[in-house]
Amino acid sequence: MVSLVEMPQAMPQQLSRQNDRRADEVNGAEIMIDVRDLDFAYGANKVLHDVTLDIPPQAVTAFIGPSGCGKTTLLRCINRMNDLIEGARITRGAIHLGGVDINAPEVDVVDLRRRVGMVFQKSNPFPKSIYENISYGLRIAGINKRSQIDEAVEKSLRGAALWDEVKDRLDEGALGLSGGQQQRLCIARALAVEPDVVLMDEPCSALDPIATAKIEELIQELKMQYTIVIVTHNMQQAGRVSDHTGFFYLGKLIEFGPTTKIFTNPSERRTEDYITGRFG
Amino acid sequence: MSILSENAPARRRRITTESAIKAFFGSNALVAIVVLALITIFLFRDGFGFFGQNLANLRLYRRAGLEYVDIIRTQAQTHAALSRQLGDIRMQESRTLPSGSTLEAFDQFSAAFSDSGEFLNALVSDANDQALALREVLIAAGSASAVSSAEAQPSETAKPTAPVDPRAAMIALRTADEKFAKIAEGMKGKIDNLLAAPPVLSSPKARQSFEKWKKKTRDYVAQFPVVSQRLRQWNANEPVPAYRAITAFLFGRDWVTASFWQDWYGIIPLLVGSIMVAAVALLLAVPLGVCSAIYVSEVAARGEKSLIKPYIEFISAIPSVVLGFFGIAVVGQAVRALSQMPFMKWVPFFPISERLNVFTAGSLLALMAVPTIFTLAEDALRNVPRGFKEASYALGANRLQTIARVLVPASLSGIISAVLLGLGRVIGETMVVLLCAGNRIAIPDFTQGLGAFFQPVHTMTGIIAQEMGEVVRGSIHYRALFMVGLVLFALTLGINYLAQRLVARYRMSIG
Repeated sequence: MVSLVEMPQAMPQQLSRQNDRRADEVNGAEIMIDVRDLDFAYGANKVLHDVTLDIPPQAVTAFIGPSGCGKTTLLRCINRMNDLIEGARITRGAIHLGGVDINAPEVDVVDLRRRVGMVFQKSNPFPKSIYENISYGLRIAGINKRSQIDEAVEKSLRGAALWDEVKDRLDEGALGLSGGQQQRLCIARALAVEPDVVLMDEPCSALDPIATAKIEELIQELKMQYTIVIVTHNMQQAGRVSDHTGFFYLGKLIEFGPTTKIFTNPSERRTEDYITGRFG
Repeated sequence: MSILSENAPARRRRITTESAIKAFFGSNALVAIVVLALITIFLFRDGFGFFGQNLANLRLYRRAGLEYVDIIRTQAQTHAALSRQLGDIRMQESRTLPSGSTLEAFDQFSAAFSDSGEFLNALVSDANDQALALREVLIAAGSASAVSSAEAQPSETAKPTAPVDPRAAMIALRTADEKFAKIAEGMKGKIDNLLAAPPVLSSPKARQSFEKWKKKTRDYVAQFPVVSQRLRQWNANEPVPAYRAITAFLFGRDWVTASFWQDWYGIIPLLVGSIMVAAVALLLAVPLGVCSAIYVSEVAARGEKSLIKPYIEFISAIPSVVLGFFGIAVVGQAVRALSQMPFMKWVPFFPISERLNVFTAGSLLALMAVPTIFTLAEDALRNVPRGFKEASYALGANRLQTIARVLVPASLSGIISAVLLGLGRVIGETMVVLLCAGNRIAIPDFTQGLGAFFQPVHTMTGIIAQEMGEVVRGSIHYRALFMVGLVLFALTLGINYLAQRLVARYRMSIG
């Protein structure tokens, strides 16, 4: 079984094999996640058509598009969360993470998910204490040393800019936190297992503007260390936080490129229409 | 304004319709409430009458000297039990003995021991008759109305003797003080002699049991003076405190009715029976119900789900009498047959002799509780927000970890309340236990360890169903059954209350 955890972070040379067309669009350099010719269906209902894109490491990549365009589905393909949905499957194409096909039979999905963390639209802390929420991922990975867990809890809470707010009440229930704090707790929880990639599925859609601003600020800090893929409905948000943006429409990737280009000078008409609010 | 300016008759018509609707639904609710209240009042009125009658019953027990006789009788019974144990030891010994050799010495020993109790038994039998005669006199004198009709009858027919003076009769009975002391003295001598020259046993197992027996016998002999003392101090006129009527019921270890001697209404054997059966049922039903709920809500594919769920829920459609029948004919028989198989010899309490026992009843009740537990637990699991599950999987948890660390804890109060409701169902179930529990009114012998669960018991529900039809209305026995019903009622009420509180909490934690 190929352990994804021990894989080299990225293997740019090897991976850029068929990338000549995309390479310039993502500034040439390394590629973390490589989505190639992906078709995806829920039963008979095909929701992604021929999606191809490269996500660079240590940057924020945003997926935008109207509801039902498949951006969340693509996001959930990256850590194989769609495995949990009966009848959902990739019908064509592949996703490579650091050069390894994540759907290959020898890939352990548990390892994959440990390496690709996820933050959900609705904050979903477990009905446990703050401390237990963060330590959960470590414990299920078999780490039981108290000092190690303590350290990881503090580190990830600091990483999620939550430490100062909760350090005195780590043993209190996580459900007592405010909505924004809960979402940052979920981010901290995802960070605690030290993933390479953090997927965020509309992480701010249920939050007020102040909490949203905090999360966005956090995303900016996190991209120093992590590869972040964020799905958002909020185009201003995509513009503010992301380095690269993909615009999806009806299950197709219409345009993918540096955020500044997508927002100022899109090459596709539909992108421009969506961004300027003509539809969506 | 236009709404208000309607004509008055229409408004009146509407008001009458509305009040009719209100009256209809209201009266239905009222009937339900009134009926429930009446049942409760009836239950309590008839139930609490028991204590007065039981007190009179206990007072008569003392005044007629039955209590006194029972002190002596206990001694005789202990002696008889010791004799029986000698028989067991003989069995152990003869098993290892080569054929042909005899156990003569041992047989002599046990015969001698058995004979040593001869006078004691005679004393008990005399005192027994005296006390019964005295009781009849007292009843005739109208001192106690609280004797169940079942035993009042024989006393009337067997009473052509001339009325005796109760005081004189009591003095006659009390001569047993001296007699007992004398008999005990004699027994002590005989037994001491026997113990001084015990027979030699060859089998180590028998020897071990015999050593134990000797110790018990020595203790038995040693406590004679204490018993004599108790007999002398015993006083027929000492008042029976009122609380005894309650404690004799709640902590009484005997349920003896329609007896020629003394009736006892102690709930303990029934309560123990009910609890043991329920424990077995829960022990089997909780894993089955909860695990199948987990399977259906988390593991099963959609096709399986649509098959398993209705199938399990269908079990609750089987009439309990059919289940009971199945229990007698199949389960009980099968368990006993299994226990008699040679390869099951390693189980210490096998083979079992009773087909109908706690385990048989419990395993069938488990079948009845499984649908309740399954349905409610499945609901609880399904109501765990999807986000918890997804978060767990996204952190790299496998299915087992997600179930054990997130789903079950998050739905725990729901699962517990499902179990409690299942327990309520099991405690209150009648038909199956009546058919399958064996209906022997005795506390199982717990010295056998788990073997106690393969002995027949009687239960609270079973005894009501069995005896209520035969008792005389208003008699102490009738009221005692009502009290059992009340205890049952209190128990199920408590369980349901607990379950509901948990459900309420669980709703909050999910919301």
